[in-house]
Amino acid sequence: MTAVLELDGTRPDTAVADITGCGVLSAAGPGLAVLRGSGWRSPRPGAKPRMSLAALGRAGAPPRTPPDDPDWPPLALAPVAGFDPVETLGRRGIARLSRSEQLAMAACLAALDAVGEGSGVDRTGIVLGTSMGSARAVLDLLRDTFQQARPYLVNPSAFPSTMMVSAAGRAAIRTGLTGVNATVSGGPVAGLHALRYAGQALRNGHADRMLAGAVEELSPEAAWAWYHGKALAAGTPLAEGCAVFTLDAPGTAAGRPLGRILACETAFTADGPAAVSGLLARTVRTALARAGVTAADVTTVVPGAGGRRGWAAVEERALRAVFGAGSPPRLEITGTVGEVHAAGAALQLAAALADPGPDGGLALLTSVGTDGSAGCLVVDLPASLGEVP
Amino acid sequence: MSEPFVRRVAVTGLGAVSGFGTGKDALVAGIKAGRSGIGPIEQFDATGFDHTLAGEVRGFEPAAHLRRPGRWGRSGWFAATAAHEAVRDAGLGPGSLATARTASSFGTTNGESQVLERLAEQVAGRGPAAVSPELAGQADAGRIAAAVAAELGLTGETMTFGTACAAANYAIGYAFDLVRTGEADYALCGGADASNRATHAGFHRLGALAQDVPRPFDRDRDGIVTAEGGVALLLEPLDDALARGARVYAEVLGYGMTCDARHMTNPDAASIAECIRIAQRQAGIKPEEVDYVCAHGTGTRANEVAEVAAVREVFGARVPPISSVKSVLGHTMGAAAGFGALISCVAVDEGFLPPSATLREPDPELGPDLDCVPGVAREARVRVAQNHGFAFGGNNAVTLFGKVAA
Repeated sequence: MTAVLELDGTRPDTAVADITGCGVLSAAGPGLAVLRGSGWRSPRPGAKPRMSLAALGRAGAPPRTPPDDPDWPPLALAPVAGFDPVETLGRRGIARLSRSEQLAMAACLAALDAVGEGSGVDRTGIVLGTSMGSARAVLDLLRDTFQQARPYLVNPSAFPSTMMVSAAGRAAIRTGLTGVNATVSGGPVAGLHALRYAGQALRNGHADRMLAGAVEELSPEAAWAWYHGKALAAGTPLAEGCAVFTLDAPGTAAGRPLGRILACETAFTADGPAAVSGLLARTVRTALARAGVTAADVTTVVPGAGGRRGWAAVEERALRAVFGAGSPPRLEITGTVGEVHAAGAALQLAAALADPGPDGGLALLTSVGTDGSAGCLVVDLPASLGEVP
Repeated sequence: MSEPFVRRVAVTGLGAVSGFGTGKDALVAGIKAGRSGIGPIEQFDATGFDHTLAGEVRGFEPAAHLRRPGRWGRSGWFAATAAHEAVRDAGLGPGSLATARTASSFGTTNGESQVLERLAEQVAGRGPAAVSPELAGQADAGRIAAAVAAELGLTGETMTFGTACAAANYAIGYAFDLVRTGEADYALCGGADASNRATHAGFHRLGALAQDVPRPFDRDRDGIVTAEGGVALLLEPLDDALARGARVYAEVLGYGMTCDARHMTNPDAASIAECIRIAQRQAGIKPEEVDYVCAHGTGTRANEVAEVAAVREVFGARVPPISSVKSVLGHTMGAAAGFGALISCVAVDEGFLPPSATLREPDPELGPDLDCVPGVAREARVRVAQNHGFAFGGNNAVTLFGKVAA
């Protein structure tokens, strides 16, 4: 088969969704174009992800290493670049929004702006993946319960932001979307959980259009946990980011989609890293079969674990099992956007969309979590039109 | 697009960890008798709080139920233990789920809130560098559905919903879709949350905590009582359940979801009414077929005024009996809609109306002719039960459960 997206809407019965727009915020800057062309590497077993500091600095945000700030560990940090919350969201109420809420609201607005009218607000939903919501908001509130004169003297206007639901809820208020509004959790696989949920919501008639993606924020506490746990791969900055995609039922949207999700599968094992490799390989085979393609059709692999020490090998073992010697090239996102944890899978998808190549192709995204989660997504990419949004 | 393959979905197993202890039977007996599961807070130091009652699970010993409790936080314990109970209740052997495609779909408001609380204790005073990476590694809310899968040896899909106090209905609805469309052979679904300082302080500060007990629908109600617990439903294809001679509590008929998109904490009656209509439409039932509404019924005026207005808008002059099990359980947050689902299934199966146990004098503001089932459970035929879950963020989800003709 040809791996290029057929524009006459073929295979809509088995496909999950068409990606018709997106809003992306990362250390590389806003949008898709800044993600392009910086993360390719050969699938050499054990190869270290190539750092692309140029890409990190491109939008005016070099990796931040704050040796003189005792709140942060001596790690390279990659905050979202080129994002001014006040400019994007307005001054009103901005101070009480968590970083996660700000990023999610801005990405949802951008994803919706990219497509314009399409389905009614009551038939358009939102699903966001996260790890635990805003760790900073929760920990700040808890700190107040320990340090204020009375434990309940917390800031009441900060309370909603401590809930995982708050980013998706505020994004709904901001966009006026009254359809399904869901929040899902699950470490680096959270983005795949959200995209899978969105696909099911479309297929089962709960919405005509979904904004789906994932968000991660930088916080000192999380950064110290990564640092103490020596959990980052060498040379990988700890990062934040958010990517949200506008998804329509396959073949229903006007115009040319950025890509078509053909399959999205997740699974779980409690039996440790070796079992995760085996499970991921099985999950990839299932997804390829459901997409109606074979391993030979895959033109790009976008792995998710490159930023986490030890886990890239787990993922690579699964990929070798599926692809053998003829493995397609890897698109490694950690060099461009850093380790973005819960936003990882969403930014992997953004990277794939940013770089379809001149003839299009078929990208496979993979993701594994330390808890034993594994997941993958197969996306058909149209031939490059040159400029991407 | 072609119509997807669909099949009917049965609830064949129920499990719970609640203020009444571990097990569905203790919970159902407590609710029916209108006993209170609420007592003094033990899960965190309540010194300095004006309100010191909560619906907590007392004396819970995770090692008695779980293989590797050290891996999970308290919410994970509750979810996994409730799931074990649900599997046992369904009469399925331990291996039958592990070899099938069994999904784990659970909802939560605050995830592993006690883990976050311990992290906050570490960093309060000593700064963020004092954080323990091992503890931080247990903070991800996604570990709740993972705990269920790990403890039961499942390798299917896991999905943890963080859609606050409606989360369990989202989880049950998602699980229903998976089984209905053949994405999964079985699904364990429900919700879990742990009693914790942040939630208690937040609701305290909002002025939303009751002085002693929650009194949903009462003219003297003064708020919620925070609570904890875990609840699990086992879903399987109805035909398979009947073929193996399983006890079918109820059939999942359908569900609906809406978002107010107006305010983070104030509910919206029109959006709730639309959510109910969507659920009923998807389930293919008419309002007059609903025999019981298991209310969100938190015990706050804001919730009940909106909820009853929405119910009246949908049902018109004939509002079915409506009650709140939060009257005895307190508000179990992400588990709340799951407890509502569980008691709705048992109500359908056994034929009774769960009570609003603490109701003394119905609030006249809610209007006349409202049967809130005061006191204790009442025998009644329940062919269809409608279960409400509403959340911060304006998120509404309604599930519907129906009797399967013998």
